This record gives sequence, structure tokens and C-alpha cells, in this order.
Amino acid sequence: MKKVLVIQEDLIILKILERLVNLNNYSCKAIRSLNELSIEDQQNNFDFIISDILFEGIAPLQFVAQVQEILLHKNLLIVTNMGQDKIKQEIFALSGIAGFYAVPIDLDEIDATLKAYNE
Amino acid sequence: MNEVTLLLLIKILLVLLVVYWIAIGISMFYRRIRMRRLAIIEETFADLVSRYLYNDPENPISISQINDRLKKIGIRPGNRNNIQYLISLMIRTQRTIIGSNFIKLQKLYGMIPPYGVSIAKIGSWNWYRQARGIREIYEMNQSHYLDEVLKYRNDKNIYVRREAQIAMVVFLGWESLRFLPYLKWNMTLWQQIKIVEKLYDLYPQPDLKWLQKAYETDRSFAKRLLMRIIRKFELHSEIDYIMKHLTDEDYEVRETAIYCIKTFAVSRADMSFIKAEFDKIPEPTQQLQLMNYIFENSDIDVPFYLEQLYGPNEDIRLSVAEILWNNGHKQKVQEFYLQQYPNTSMHVG
Repeated sequence: MKKVLVIQEDLIILKILERLVNLNNYSCKAIRSLNELSIEDQQNNFDFIISDILFEGIAPLQFVAQVQEILLHKNLLIVTNMGQDKIKQEIFALSGIAGFYAVPIDLDEIDATLKAYNE
Repeated sequence: MNEVTLLLLIKILLVLLVVYWIAIGISMFYRRIRMRRLAIIEETFADLVSRYLYNDPENPISISQINDRLKKIGIRPGNRNNIQYLISLMIRTQRTIIGSNFIKLQKLYGMIPPYGVSIAKIGSWNWYRQARGIREIYEMNQSHYLDEVLKYRNDKNIYVRREAQIAMVVFLGWESLRFLPYLKWNMTLWQQIKIVEKLYDLYPQPDLKWLQKAYETDRSFAKRLLMRIIRKFELHSEIDYIMKHLTDEDYEVRETAIYCIKTFAVSRADMSFIKAEFDKIPEPTQQLQLMNYIFENSDIDVPFYLEQLYGPNEDIRLSVAEILWNNGHKQKVQEFYLQQYPNTSMHVG
């Protein structure tokens, strides 16, 4: 089964994304910060990581760099409250970002992305 | 003060200290329980919303199940604090989502317990609760309460009428401008900006019919609001309205008109009109602001600048002299200064 890691500090978005991922027949690990990751999780190669970029104690770009460095993955999607154009440009300037969704989000777009990958 | 009195005072202080410590202990204990309760409510609500939005066909969740679970975690009519917390979660969630799930959420909000709490707040004697109730209604998009909310657009309390006016914009969009001429109280700059931003976020497609109808208003705040809308939406076809108010008798209307016209590049004919109106502006500071706009948005019109150079205001003369001096007309400026001293012979080294 394909694997997805969801990292969101906002519990409501986290649960909704977890549900969306599960219903698309992926195995989902949903966490509120990187501290909740286990050693086994770090050995997985996730098909998708759906993550926020705003976490306490770390700058958004640094966080993305850290995720890219420590977690094996194929696609990285950003779902965040920080939707400013400047942030978006800076995130896309990094390599390996498959999508950027700023709040308010249309979950149908993420749904379509997951479905397309599963086909 | 003798020994007995001193001992008594120490005992009283000790008792007060103990009471104080106990109060702190109780407060910490209550806070811990309360935080745990709020975490349970948040967790349950997150679970219910996620299951409602993405219902599992094999294990579907029904509205009665949702209501039962909410009741179990303390969402009951008697517990207003829990309900208030749930409302804040509902609003937070609704702000996060758009598209088909937004519509689903609205449907859900119409069927779960807090429904009706916000409208009950509107009838309160407390202005804070009234304003909060109106805010919750428009944040949760309960448009069926529009008539109730509209009654408060001219409320004597600034916060209540402020929220009611924003609710009008949220529910009616551009059509809400039809109420503008009938608003009785002044609208602060902050409120104008909030209305413009809300309109821009929710109704980005302009409906000029309602805007043009509102032009009939003679209220200063309404004129300023309309000009800010024209500026925000970059409505080039409506620039005439801004230009008309460059010479308004009200200082603040002129100020806003000058601020808003700066967003637009106007045609030669319009620029000629602005130049013709220039002398009708009674305030030299505002004339200077407009002068900068004219300089930055048109070619050097020597006759116009010369007219201002020989005008009565010292600051404008200085500004015009600088413009002419830096744009190839030094001689005109020298002539101007020399004609002030007709009887002095030039000393050229």
C-alpha cells in the first residue's frame, strides 16, 4: 500500500487530510510535529508528504529543507496558512516541491492529485 | 505598636498568604481540567468534521451520531463556554476550506447544537455580545439572519454597527452599497478599509450598477469609501468620480481623492482637467501632493508650471522651481528669481 505522511499542527486540518488520504486507499501517518516521528517512519519512503511550513522554533524554508533531508519521499505537497506570494515563490524556488496549497484550500484539488497518482 | 498587635498582624498576613496559595492551587487545577476539556472538544470536533466531509461508505456517520457525541463531550445549552469554544472551532474550520467541502460544512453547521446561539446573542443588552453574535453569523455564513442583522447597521454602538455593516457586505456583496447613502453615523478609516478588503476577497467581480447608484450620496465617509473601492478594484471607467472630488469642499474627501488618483495613469484630456482644477484646491499641502502626481504622470507642461511658479504660495513655488530646474528649464527659474530683484546688477565672476 502506498504511504503518505501528513504533518500539520492544526488538529482539524490534520484529521481532515488524514481522512482524505485514507479514503484514497493510502496508508497514512498523521503527526502534529516532526518530534512525533519514529525511527521506522524515517526509514519509510513516502509516496507523498503533505506538510505545513509554520512550526515553532524553525523558519519555513529551513523546515522544508529539513523534511527533504531527513525523510525519503517522492512528492512533497505544502498545505499552509502562509499563502503570501513571497513565501510561495521562495518555496517553489526550492527543488522537489510538487504542490503549494494556501489556506483557504479546496480539498478537491488534493483529492484529485492523490487519485491521479494512485491510478 | 505593641507585641500583641504585631503578632496579630503577622497571623492575619499568614492567613491571607495561605488563602492566596489555595486560590492559586484551585485556579491551576481548574485550568488543567479546562484545558483537557477543550482538547477533547477540539479532538472530537476534528474527528466528526473529517468523517462528515469524507464519509466512509462502509461506516457512515449520521447527524444524530454527531449530535450525540457532541452532547457527550459537554456541548449542552447550559454550558455556554463549551458552546462558545465549539463556535470558534467551527469558524476556524470554515475559514480554512473552500469548494464543495465549504458547502458541506455550511450544511453541517445548520444541523448541530450551537445553531441559534449566535442569533440569541444579538438580542443581548451587552454591546460586546451583540457584536460577537453578528460576527459569528457572518463568519458562519448564516445568511437567513440577514434581516435581523440589517437592523443594527445604524446602531449607536460603533462596534455593533461595524459588524452589522461588514455582515451586509458579506451577505449582499456589491448590492450592500445601496444602503450607503442611508447610513447615519460616520465610518472610520479602519472600517472603510475592512469593508473594501472584505468586498475584494468575497466579490472580486465588480458590479458597477450598485456602485454608480451609490454616487448620489452626499456623505463624506460614503464618498471616501466609494473612491477607495474604485482604487482597490482599479476601475478605470470610474476615475471621473475621483477627479470630481479633487476639489470637494471637505478636506478628507479631497485627501482621499488625491490618494486614490495616484493609483491611476490618466489620459491627456483627464490630465488637462486635473490641471485646470488645480487652483481650486484650497489647501497648499494637498496642491503639493497633486503637483507631484501631475509631474510623475505627464510631460512637462511649461505654461502650467510657470503659472504655479508665479503663484502666491512659497512651498509650491519652490517645488515647481525644482521640477523646472531638473527638467531642462533652468533659465525659466533663473528669470523668476532675477525678476524679484529688478534693481540689482548681476555680478558674474
